[in-house]
Amino acid sequence: MTQILFKNINMKDLQTMKVYEEQGGYQSLKKAFAQKPEEIIEVVKASGLRGRGGAGFPTGLKWSFLAKDVFPRYLCCNADESEPGTCKDRELLLKNPHMLIEGMILCSYACRIETGYIYLRGEFHDLNFIMDKALEEARAKGYLGKNIMGTGFDLEIHTHLGAGAYICGEESALLNSLEGGRGEPRMKPPFPAVEGLYAKPTVINNVETLCVVPYIINEGAEKYASMGTEKSKGTKLVSVSGHVNKPGNYEVVLGTPMREIIYEIAGGIPNGNKLKAFIPGGSSTPMLPADQVDVLYDYESLAAAGSMLGSGALIVIDDSVNIVEPTLRLISFYMHESCGKCTPCREGTRWLYQIVERIMQNKGQLEHIEKMEDICDNMTMKAFCPLADACVSPVMSSIKHFRADYEEYFKNAPVGSV
Amino acid sequence: MSDNEITLTIDGKSVTVPKGTKVVDAAKQVNVDIPVFCYHEKIGPLGCCRMCLVEVEKMPKLMTACTMDVMPDMVVRTTTEKVEKAQKGVLEFTLLNHPLDCPVCDKGGECPLQDNTFKYGPPDTRMEFHRANNAKATPLSPVITIDRERCIACQRCTAYSERIEQDQGLVMLNRGFYNEVGTFNNEPYDTRFSGNVIDICPVGALTNTDFRFKARTWDLTNTATLCAHCGCNCNITMGTRLNELMRVEARPNDAVDDGWICDKARWGHQFVHSKNKILTARENSVGGGKPTSFPAFPHDCTIQDAAGKVAKAFKKIAEEHGPESVGFIGSPYATNEENYLYQKLFRQSLGSNNIDHKSYQDTPGLPVEHYGVEQIETANVVLLIASDPTEELPILDLRIKKAVTHCGTRLVSLNDQKIAMDKYSSQSVQYRVGTEALAIDALANGLARELGESAPAKDSDKTGISVEDMKALVETVRSSMKICVVYNPAALSGDAVLRVKRLLKLIAKVPTMECGAIPAAPMTNAVGAMDMGLLPDFYPGGVSMTNAEEIKKQWGENAPTTKGLSALEMIIRAEAGELKALLIHRSNPVIDFPGGSRVADALRKLDLLVVHDMLETETAELAHLVLPSNGPGYDEGTTTNIGGRVQARKRALETSHAPDWKIINLMLNALGDKTDYQRVLDVTDEIAKKVPGYQEVNRRSVGKTGCDRTPVVSADETVAEQSADSGKDGSLRLRVAAFLFSHDKILDASSKLAHHFLPSTAHLNEKDAKRLGIQNGDTVLLCAQDITLEATASVNSHCQPGGVVVPRASDWQGVNGLIAADGGPAWVEVRKV
Repeated sequence: MTQILFKNINMKDLQTMKVYEEQGGYQSLKKAFAQKPEEIIEVVKASGLRGRGGAGFPTGLKWSFLAKDVFPRYLCCNADESEPGTCKDRELLLKNPHMLIEGMILCSYACRIETGYIYLRGEFHDLNFIMDKALEEARAKGYLGKNIMGTGFDLEIHTHLGAGAYICGEESALLNSLEGGRGEPRMKPPFPAVEGLYAKPTVINNVETLCVVPYIINEGAEKYASMGTEKSKGTKLVSVSGHVNKPGNYEVVLGTPMREIIYEIAGGIPNGNKLKAFIPGGSSTPMLPADQVDVLYDYESLAAAGSMLGSGALIVIDDSVNIVEPTLRLISFYMHESCGKCTPCREGTRWLYQIVERIMQNKGQLEHIEKMEDICDNMTMKAFCPLADACVSPVMSSIKHFRADYEEYFKNAPVGSV
Repeated sequence: MSDNEITLTIDGKSVTVPKGTKVVDAAKQVNVDIPVFCYHEKIGPLGCCRMCLVEVEKMPKLMTACTMDVMPDMVVRTTTEKVEKAQKGVLEFTLLNHPLDCPVCDKGGECPLQDNTFKYGPPDTRMEFHRANNAKATPLSPVITIDRERCIACQRCTAYSERIEQDQGLVMLNRGFYNEVGTFNNEPYDTRFSGNVIDICPVGALTNTDFRFKARTWDLTNTATLCAHCGCNCNITMGTRLNELMRVEARPNDAVDDGWICDKARWGHQFVHSKNKILTARENSVGGGKPTSFPAFPHDCTIQDAAGKVAKAFKKIAEEHGPESVGFIGSPYATNEENYLYQKLFRQSLGSNNIDHKSYQDTPGLPVEHYGVEQIETANVVLLIASDPTEELPILDLRIKKAVTHCGTRLVSLNDQKIAMDKYSSQSVQYRVGTEALAIDALANGLARELGESAPAKDSDKTGISVEDMKALVETVRSSMKICVVYNPAALSGDAVLRVKRLLKLIAKVPTMECGAIPAAPMTNAVGAMDMGLLPDFYPGGVSMTNAEEIKKQWGENAPTTKGLSALEMIIRAEAGELKALLIHRSNPVIDFPGGSRVADALRKLDLLVVHDMLETETAELAHLVLPSNGPGYDEGTTTNIGGRVQARKRALETSHAPDWKIINLMLNALGDKTDYQRVLDVTDEIAKKVPGYQEVNRRSVGKTGCDRTPVVSADETVAEQSADSGKDGSLRLRVAAFLFSHDKILDASSKLAHHFLPSTAHLNEKDAKRLGIQNGDTVLLCAQDITLEATASVNSHCQPGGVVVPRASDWQGVNGLIAADGGPAWVEVRKV
């Protein structure tokens, strides 16, 4: 199995500069610095790398969108990994911090950036120490600071710990938070590539995305692009959780069948239970029923199946579960994490929670489903940012595929109850 | 159509608007109503409430019209099924936990939430759960109460605080469903402009504590009038009920206030119902003990009789002792009509030019364009000279902030004290207290040298300004494309104001420079008072005494053409027994003039002192005769703001008392002038005929938003050579600074704004404090002119060494008593108690 990001991941002391360099770390810099920044962007474009944070936007294209001739520019690494089910970035930060730094140096060189930030979610305070230590090592080695490797290229990278808000994983809320403001999404346009951090052009990339870049520079765009499918190139980290025998982070080539991931890589469903549903890309992607298990794990196949690849968190649910339970838990998460800025999200998430909670208390009625569908419609694509849509997706997909689970609760409902 | 215009279609109607216009504003132009809660055209887009969703062709989802800039050939639809469903959906969400206590809500009847629900909302709610409860009445400050249950979290108020006030006094706290409007650490939200959030709140969440539950909005009689405090003349609506003032709201006028008013405008008008209001004419038994030469004045006489008798008494004294023995001290707070008539009375009927309205020097007119306040936004440099807009003219403060943060304007200041606006200035140059004349001349000399004009090779070093700083300031001024000079004549000592005018003339000589100025005296109608000729040396419209021909043509053969006494000179002549009779209109020299007890003593020596005022004052106590003045709220007339804009102050409260103009009219009649003004507008019409610059001012032109008067011509002034002054060894030069919420007759102890009152404070420089052994917070005594004044020392770098800045905190503080009666340089000794 091709391993790019997880090659050597469990090697002892990989987080130290010594071991990382022994494994070929920071070799890409020399190669990159021999080229013009624009050429690096072209290489990344050619590799077909897409953002691994959730939206899957082509990375090279994102870099090329930076407002021309406006400086300074900033790089923000989005390490606010908070999508329920996702824990892949944590493993990279914990075990291989230098890979991220190397990727950030490459990105900064390509985009002529002199200041980078790593925005870590508030709960990652232990990783903050690891990251700071790695940055210190990189500075000591001359990979960061002034005139890096005699090229005249300067770069400084800082870490910043968030205060624990899911919304700050949304790039513009991240920027607000990084600036010391309230974690609320910003109006777009202007997009961060034009007016981002401190109103300057800003690149915001996920940890995993940046970690892939050294490989692409070392091995060439063709090699990376040779993996995966036509529109989904390379490998992807999958955080498998839920009812599987071997939950954990795995690196798979895009286009691997979902069945293979669940039943072979993750070891199948425990206790002889059957697969009931799976959420393929983190809690904000619609869940799919078991009969779709043969879908291929890549951006376009999952989109065709009515879901998304998202951040790569595969949540597996077996047939011991009434789907309404995880649905309520997910709504509860979004209700708690809604920033409150816009009306549909602030009010809608709470209202949905109240309705589903009542259903689970056996006080629901059939028409409540219709009402929920309508509330979801009033939230979908009408809120300020996609958080409301993220809340809607488990609700709508659970109603679509597992209506019977809701009806289960209605059976016990006293007639005429509210 | 220029490149800067965009044509789009909204609901089938084509509209062309400037680039950068939001769809929601473009829609207004073709009468398409797009409902909003969070959007406010002065604050800008937020995108919070989602009420303004519209369909845009080629866009996959509904768009918020408030955040979207217009684009060429855009096709917008606001009434499609999709849009209507979204509007109903958003309103349902908005109302989900709204208490619907409309029957007792202050916003009822003028509530955007009610109105939008009526027009776009669902007929019912599907909410089956208990509505969330929240705190119903939490004070945000002594004057603002928040009802958190009604709040729809649209963030308009917090955006106002962030973008307009720019100090983030009001912020969103907490998250999601639990987010709420509040302040850091629960501190009071008591900025100078806090009240505007009440006006902009689209629901009844932010309420006026004073107005809460007092009246239904539809029961109010609303009068479009003007604020009667500072020289901005902001437009306000006075809501009254049963002839009682209930509330004051902003009435947007872009040319004047940009839609905002300060808290003094909103809560500082309670004086209209003050216990201290003078309601009847009376004879004071406490007046001077000397036999008076005016006729008996029965207690029960009518105001008409009293006015006539006052006029005749003045006439008698003028005849006995000569016209120079009578004088008039008018008011920069009175209307143009009152001021005009009073100067007419004294000049035409009594033959005296002893007319003034101020205790500082100033002359009418400017050698450059008189800019309106709007011009600040298009100027690329604003130069503040001795001006502190935050305390003196608060709405000017907001305008300058807007220009600096949104219009690319650079702010530079030349001042003797630190001001709140320094935060926004690219350069703040501080001169030593009392050296304004030298500092202004240094700037002028620097410019003159650049322009190749004659100027001394070296500037005085007494100002304490470094050569580099002055050079940088000169360069900023010289290289500006359009400069707006804002100066406060009332804060300039000696003849410094004349030097400012000389400086302006020089700036205007810089090639390709557009240059204008705003004479930013803080009093309501300071500009108008000058225009109306309340000056000893100028007739109305800035006609100089030297222009005898013009004066006689306009004012008759007997019009006096010798320069009269200034206000301060009148006090000194009264002290010497040379001035026999003085009429004081809405002014309180005992407190507001320099000289302290000397002023009172001088007034006691008068044969006749008549005070025509609206509130009891220390000066009124000394008067032989007191005439009632109606004052703001009850009066009518026009005032001219700092930008030269003439606007109508309308009557909001009924009174049976004769208006001031009528009383003066009666005085004129008693002395033979036959004019019988039926309405105040008759006086306005006469002003249009007789006062240069006011030709276009009439009822129609003043309308709702006012009209600019044409600036009067500035007379050439000769500036005397500077003479150095110095105090006793170790004494400090005094600067009396303005303070917005001064505890005076207008904001008395029962004022809603009493929480802003400032204790007597003296700002000392660290160096002086060290020398004098004074520490921050010490009680100190300021001594001068046989007066000792107590103050709390504030040791900082507010002013340069050698000066002491004392904000005018209250009437009883008596800080003007530290200045000599002639208004000369004030040196005070400061010592620790």
